[in-house]
Amino acid sequence: MEKNIYITKTAEKFDAIVVGSGITGGWAAKELCEKGLKTLMVERGRAVEHRKDYVGEGIKPWEMDNRGKVKYQLVEDQYHIQKKCYAFNDATKHFFGNDRDFPYSTPKDKPFSWIRGNQLGGKSLTWHRQSYRWSDLDFNANAVDGHGVDWPIRYKDLEAWYSYVEHHAGISGAAENIPVLPDSVFLPPFEFNTVELALKKKIEEKYSDRKLIMGRCAHLSKPAPHHIEQGRIQCQTRNECQKGCSFGAYFSTQSSTLPAALKTNNLTIATNSIVHSVIYDANTKRATGVRVIDSETMETREYFAKVIFLCASTLGTTQVMLNSTSEAFPNGIANSSGALGHYLMDHLYGAGASGRVEGFENEYYSGRRPTGPYMPRFRNVLQKHPAFLRGYSLGGSAAREHWDKFSEKDGFGADFKQQIRNAGDWTFSLSGSGEMLPRFENQVSLHPTKVDKWGMPQLHIECSYSTNEIKMREDMADTAAEILESIGVKDVVKFNRSIEEWQPGLSIHEMGTARMGKDPKTSVLNRHNQAHDIPNLFVTDGACMTSSAWQNPSLTYMAITARACDYAVKQLKLGKV
Amino acid sequence: MTNNIDLKRMTDLNRRNALKQLAAFCGLAISASSLELLAADSHSINKISKNSPGLLSKTQIALVQQLGEIIIPATETPGAIGAGVHSFIDRHITACFSPEEQQQLVSGLARIDNISKKLWRKIFIKILPKQQIALLTDMEKAQGEFDNNDRIFFKQFKGLVMFGYYTSEIGAAQELAYLAIPGNFKGDVKFNSLGKAWAL
Repeated sequence: MEKNIYITKTAEKFDAIVVGSGITGGWAAKELCEKGLKTLMVERGRAVEHRKDYVGEGIKPWEMDNRGKVKYQLVEDQYHIQKKCYAFNDATKHFFGNDRDFPYSTPKDKPFSWIRGNQLGGKSLTWHRQSYRWSDLDFNANAVDGHGVDWPIRYKDLEAWYSYVEHHAGISGAAENIPVLPDSVFLPPFEFNTVELALKKKIEEKYSDRKLIMGRCAHLSKPAPHHIEQGRIQCQTRNECQKGCSFGAYFSTQSSTLPAALKTNNLTIATNSIVHSVIYDANTKRATGVRVIDSETMETREYFAKVIFLCASTLGTTQVMLNSTSEAFPNGIANSSGALGHYLMDHLYGAGASGRVEGFENEYYSGRRPTGPYMPRFRNVLQKHPAFLRGYSLGGSAAREHWDKFSEKDGFGADFKQQIRNAGDWTFSLSGSGEMLPRFENQVSLHPTKVDKWGMPQLHIECSYSTNEIKMREDMADTAAEILESIGVKDVVKFNRSIEEWQPGLSIHEMGTARMGKDPKTSVLNRHNQAHDIPNLFVTDGACMTSSAWQNPSLTYMAITARACDYAVKQLKLGKV
Repeated sequence: MTNNIDLKRMTDLNRRNALKQLAAFCGLAISASSLELLAADSHSINKISKNSPGLLSKTQIALVQQLGEIIIPATETPGAIGAGVHSFIDRHITACFSPEEQQQLVSGLARIDNISKKLWRKIFIKILPKQQIALLTDMEKAQGEFDNNDRIFFKQFKGLVMFGYYTSEIGAAQELAYLAIPGNFKGDVKFNSLGKAWAL
């Protein structure tokens, strides 16, 4: 990366400002730059250079001081929330926000874990990479059951944009022709192992409404020439993705969208630049730029552009919008509806079942597959479930028990060592990823008095599950157990983590708080992710989501972002923004 | 895939292929330091400080050493002592355990010596091997002198020994099979073509 793309102060007026550099910020920058706009990407964190700054990558466990565990005192002082994320360890901790510097508050009885990725590339470096299209079952959901406002778009509005982003990003998976989970533009799927294939057959014989497919993920199972041109090669199945991947084998800003944006020579980047607020001009009724606090010097500066894209993460974007007050918008910019900050959602994880599979003693596998089998939604598709609305997917895998599962077993000594070397039984698990209803009372606001070290008002987050979510999680565990038992899995154990163990936020799919909608009175953004109130202000990260569906959301964010950029540039050229 | 898997060959091949592809497509980027690390066969990076003192006393370390070797003894590959698990545990609990967890570990070790003294009037490392095994078997099964809390301690301690052993180079790459860069995923490998479990 050329150093001169980084700036601090500038008098230049840009065509576009993109706030944030994660999955959506990277896409917005790529699209806007490729369409000829001089674009400034504003990132609150430090620069992270592809390959060079993946300092935890490729280091073997025994070469790490604490074998991947993070020092106790460091966790206590700086990562007491981030440590709850499954991907947080000694080789990834530098890609997680420091909890000492990024405080927020919650009511005592409504804990929320806010997992952060404040650096160039954002959480695109650490994401789980599962990539699924939505279908009209999802876009129609609010209209059908009346929870949340109707989505202003349908599948047909996004279909071509899904294909567009999939082609560039590289999504591995198999075409399955399942109505609730439209097929993507695919690279080859990862293989099932022998046990998974046997169980897949049994499940599909037993249940006419359920299929076990290979999880679709943003990995180059077999790169196409245009991926190789991006400097990316085939996934080596190390499954150490969150350390950063010098092979560029999974999609991230650094591996994929940033190189494309830089190629245009239209991109400039301002790192260590915390956006304080969006500047609003009451005369022109337009956003004119952003006010920034330098994270290192505490100095303030301003950047100006014709169009502004907020891609700062769901809660990051909403925090900036709430903090952007003026006479016209005393409660946050583009908030004439009062919907800003409300209808926060996350996904429901942490409930399912696992058990032991008999036989297959001479079956094994090699490589650490970065995805696993996936059962698309079957609840409330053909039949209405009596206990809850909407649905969930089940994901899991079959694997043999390795050394880390043996400490709970009795025994020690040479025989015990040999048992571990022989590999243990096969196990199979399924666990849910469920939809959360959009509810007004799940909300964020600015704390009236508390500020962070840069003087930004802290976010106060109030989020909890309703009966629908609790019932759905019970069904995830019950149904996973029922499926396992019906296909002959032994010693089936159900699990359903308590709220304390799996707080909202921990699924790291926070969505909503600046939702899209048809009516400016009840939503913040229109069908093009354009603020109803301000034509040159766009929000395309998770904040825009009107419902949560049950699929991992990032692929939909990518498609929505590319679509919004296309619209914004056309409108800009027509002089309409 | 029924051919025997030659781990050393696979490791070298995968590394070479991956790097060759990168060299072809990324030009100068191949000199980036992280790639040198990937290519490196030596274990010279990120040197660990083996001699840094932990919180355990010499006596406690001797006990940990003995317990570790009973749990994972030397066989055709080195055991816990050969893999340096005792010094790892000393370093690890000093750096990564909370004060309460450290205290629990120290108390659990003291409990083992106390029961040993009660039964045989000697500390654990001084009693006969078969007495040691009998004591630990009772502890793991919460029988004889031991209760369920002792059983929980033993499981946790055993887990710590196993973590130290199987994340060491000896445990991961000699006793078990380890590939830093597997290259691809194969779902139909026969276990006996590999002959041992993967380290992770």
